[in-house]
Amino acid sequence: MEFLSTNILLSSSFIDWIVNINPSLFSMGESLKAIITRFPTFWKAGLITLQLTSAGILFGLLIGLLFGLMRVSEIKFMRYPAKAYIFLIRGTPLLLQLFIIYYGITSIITIRSFPSAVIALGIHNGAYIAEIFRGAIQSIDKGQMEAARSLGMSKTKAMERIIMPQAFKRAIPSLGNQFIIALKDSSLASTITISELLLRARQIGNTHFILMEMLIVVAIWYLILTSLFTYLIHRLEVHFKTS
Amino acid sequence: MILLENIKKNFGKLKVLKGVDLKVDEGEVVVIIGPSGSGKSTLLRCINFLETAEKGSRISIDGKVIHRQKNDINMLRRNVGMVFQHFNLFPHMTVLQNVMEGPTQVLHMKKDKARKQGIELLEKVGLADKHNAYPQMLSGGQKQRVAIARALSMNPQIMLFDEPTSALDPELVGEVIEVMADLAREGMTMIVVTHEMWFAKEAADRVCVMDDGLIIEEGTPEQIFDSPTTERAQQFLQKIVVN
Repeated sequence: MEFLSTNILLSSSFIDWIVNINPSLFSMGESLKAIITRFPTFWKAGLITLQLTSAGILFGLLIGLLFGLMRVSEIKFMRYPAKAYIFLIRGTPLLLQLFIIYYGITSIITIRSFPSAVIALGIHNGAYIAEIFRGAIQSIDKGQMEAARSLGMSKTKAMERIIMPQAFKRAIPSLGNQFIIALKDSSLASTITISELLLRARQIGNTHFILMEMLIVVAIWYLILTSLFTYLIHRLEVHFKTS
Repeated sequence: MILLENIKKNFGKLKVLKGVDLKVDEGEVVVIIGPSGSGKSTLLRCINFLETAEKGSRISIDGKVIHRQKNDINMLRRNVGMVFQHFNLFPHMTVLQNVMEGPTQVLHMKKDKARKQGIELLEKVGLADKHNAYPQMLSGGQKQRVAIARALSMNPQIMLFDEPTSALDPELVGEVIEVMADLAREGMTMIVVTHEMWFAKEAADRVCVMDDGLIIEEGTPEQIFDSPTTERAQQFLQKIVVN
């Protein structure tokens, strides 16, 4: 029995069922040519990805800052809504959130695709950024608040002048990480007809039968953009370390 | 000038302060000593409301009772400078900015004036040449001297010192104690929690021995150190004199 079953697994019909090797369609030279010549046509799509990501991050930072501060508040009416928000958003997939905003709530209002994607990216990243800010604020030594209060500062003033500047600095590496995730997550916007990098790649790839080549091209584009983000975040870190 | 009546403080079930009474006159220097866990630091922290004492405790300054409300507490804190065991300098600010922060943000002093005052205070603690340095570049003794200057920047009527030399390397204790002794000579009203017998003997008008949440004995340094009356005080003093 044992012998028989392994034999079935190795039989050619089973392998054919898993993969379909098709060497006649593949030419190394043609593929390279397609990758190199089509690379610049993605410029516009790359720009859309970048716009989408930056708008989503900015929106997410605003939400994250607001909810992060609410999350560390001593007042229940502030803390609990923030907790609920984080619970709901972190507990459901971004793709679902995107569909709810673009397709789901059309019975109430219709939001165009680009703003829909920005809102979805914003509220999604906002929840994670809120948690990043919460962690950073709570990591600041308690003595800092005490020293500020002992000078007669109000709690708000102490947050603004003493705690937040230090917390921001400490949050930068995690924020950078989140920004890179947001950049890659923006590819989900391809599902709601935004011609960002991934959708463009699939469109061109399908019409010209060079899908694999185009997927490699977007992979390179994403690598370039994430490298750019990494570099900028690194510069920010260095800047804050010396000041 | 400052009157503490029946100060009680519980942390959960633990009774840390069991009804402390203490009166400190203007220009008086009171040193509080006692074994660890006796409530010295908690008493000090209750004075400027970093800890809120239990109901029934009364703190008054110049005959005016301080109530547990924002305005009262913020006003009290402006008049009461605090120096912490772990310095709690603001690490994102230069030494001079640390000393200017209270006056500019809380007293709304003009920047030029605050800067001038800041430099004077730093001269007083012997650190004017370090005014552009960041706290992390300073030694422990220098940090604590900056912290003293920062507390003085609010022109307080009273200074509280919470074990100001306990976190210092032994060779750095002297420079901090000297600054404190200078202050005492100038007539500053001071309440100091410390184990530095030299400071107590040189500068204190009165020494209070705390044990188990109460002041068990008080008197002039000579009385306390040479002929303590209670057994607990005798035991404790024996230990620290040996050390």
